[in-house]
Amino acid sequence: MIRSFFSSKPLPILGKGLLFLILLTLLQPNPVLISFGDPQTVETNHPIMAVHTRLTDEVEEWKIQRTLELVREMGATTIVELFPWAYYHAADGGIAWEHPDLVINHAHAQGLQIIARVGLTPDWARPPDTPLNYLDANSYADFATFTAAFAERYEGKVTHIIVGNEPNLSFEWGYRQATAVDYVQLLATVYPAVKAVNPDVMILGGALAPTIEPAGSPWGLNDLIYLDGMYAAGGADYFDGLAVHTYGFKFPPDSDPDPELLNFRRVELIRNIMLDYDDADTPIFITETGWNDHPRWTKAVRPGQRISYTLDAYRYAEENWPYVESMALWAFRFPAPTKSYMDYFTLVTPEFINKPIYDELKAYATGN
Amino acid sequence: MSACQHVSSLACQHISISSHCSIAPLPHRPIASSPHRSITPSPSDIQSHHPSLLILLLTILLTIGCRSQDNSFDLIAERGTLRVGLDPTYPPFEFDDGSSLQGIDIDLANAIGEELGVSIEFVWFGYDGLYDALGTRQVDVLISGMVIIPERQRDFAYSDPYFNAGELLVVREGETAVSAMRDLNGRSLAVELGAQGHVEATVWQKNLGDLTILPQETGDAALTAVLDSQADAALVDSITARLFLGRNVGLTAVANPVTVDPFVIVVNVEDEQLLDKLNESLESVTVSGQLTQIFAKWFK
Repeated sequence: MIRSFFSSKPLPILGKGLLFLILLTLLQPNPVLISFGDPQTVETNHPIMAVHTRLTDEVEEWKIQRTLELVREMGATTIVELFPWAYYHAADGGIAWEHPDLVINHAHAQGLQIIARVGLTPDWARPPDTPLNYLDANSYADFATFTAAFAERYEGKVTHIIVGNEPNLSFEWGYRQATAVDYVQLLATVYPAVKAVNPDVMILGGALAPTIEPAGSPWGLNDLIYLDGMYAAGGADYFDGLAVHTYGFKFPPDSDPDPELLNFRRVELIRNIMLDYDDADTPIFITETGWNDHPRWTKAVRPGQRISYTLDAYRYAEENWPYVESMALWAFRFPAPTKSYMDYFTLVTPEFINKPIYDELKAYATGN
Repeated sequence: MSACQHVSSLACQHISISSHCSIAPLPHRPIASSPHRSITPSPSDIQSHHPSLLILLLTILLTIGCRSQDNSFDLIAERGTLRVGLDPTYPPFEFDDGSSLQGIDIDLANAIGEELGVSIEFVWFGYDGLYDALGTRQVDVLISGMVIIPERQRDFAYSDPYFNAGELLVVREGETAVSAMRDLNGRSLAVELGAQGHVEATVWQKNLGDLTILPQETGDAALTAVLDSQADAALVDSITARLFLGRNVGLTAVANPVTVDPFVIVVNVEDEQLLDKLNESLESVTVSGQLTQIFAKWFK
């Protein structure tokens, strides 16, 4: 029985609890001190290699750092990462920079180029009962203000900014009909605001979802039709590069492009539209690509195929697509398992176990 | 073209998962206690000095009340049909042979239907749309090789497991030296290149220090490597392993699975009566040996 030092009476419950808490505090390890350290030097033979990280919901700093170390050690030069406007920007104008500071400073310390995807609308900037993806013209200026502040703060570290994500999907456009004209208006608001404070940052437009949804579909609109609409609406004046999503699904990377089919070489159809509008000099940044090896997802391949298709895709892009500056695999690692086919896109598990595809990509990129 | 052909980065899904439901805080309980504390407080004492206790009691009573009012199975029994959602693209658990649905989950659903005294109506969906179909009550249950997703347990409930789809260690019959992964030091292990077994093997390789991993094109090739004595063991998912063992002699799976990935039946979280009935039925078909017979039928 625990007794107090000065009397033989048993300690009251409160005293025991207090003693326990004090002991617990003494036993608690010191907080881990994390420094940015020296930038990693990793020789890569394939600078096109990039990954889409998912650090938005990663809380612990050491996990952010470890993720980015692994990215760099693999030989990737670039990350694409989501920075949700809704997470940071309060109604009173205050911006919580702590988490983006962590991600961006650690990525910069690893010598990684950062393509920032900015989107998701705070509740104060959208009507009640609308989803996070809802952004209408009333709030374009607010979004531009935030994006400009972001670009100014991270000048020299964030080199590219993607405006929005997959606006050709109704879901990504707040469950509204997706129109290219609306999106171009958004670009036209954001572009000058960002350039005014950081002329060097590249604005990437598009990031369209690969889909063959016809006009009038409630789900979205064919990315080729949508891109054509963006150019027709004068969108080319408001982006320096085009962000492209292209997935291989069941097809190998050299499978011929076809407007009625979704495969890796859909990029070439997108490029043709750019050429139709005399926009040959605008580079493409593939900000989402890859194959999936879920055992039962209908668009998945076997794990071995995923490895060979991914490596072949890099080879194909490097040999045939001089206009593609970067190619990011979706997705490097999730903070926690999604317990769905999404887990089978990743290269590293939430527990930081490298999957075999990681090792193969590393061997390819670094020659080791 | 269906929405499934989109690949979205799911930013919003992730955010909705991580959002928190708001819970009204309980009234603050005063710390100072009366010197004449009553040992058996009167109801008025409870009301005045222990509002949180009162709320707790009310919550328990309400919960009991809600449970007793759940008649999810009664409604199904009245209708006479249990609507089962599934994606029949996953042999041998569920597939369409061109004329009808076949597989383990089909037989299991029918066995459960017999136990419950209802007929079974199968409703097809894409795998990605199964939870939406259940949530919008287009079906009563999902029996489709479903795994437990902790984040979904706010809206859905899972039955007791009926199959473990995790990784199995397979060795040659008569092999007595290998009964677990830890016995593989100094030995070779065949896996399917890039599959979960391969990932698991790399972890064990680091732990053991002297484990040779032999990646093969497919799970069957990994098992064949053991059969042909090119590897000491294979680590593959249990479906691949059990199908192979059903068709080939000379190999055996060690008793304990290396990883656990249970298949379960899914219901809406408020359908507790239905869940209880399903669990009773699962136990019944297990105890009677019917489930074993179903597995034996399809894993061959």
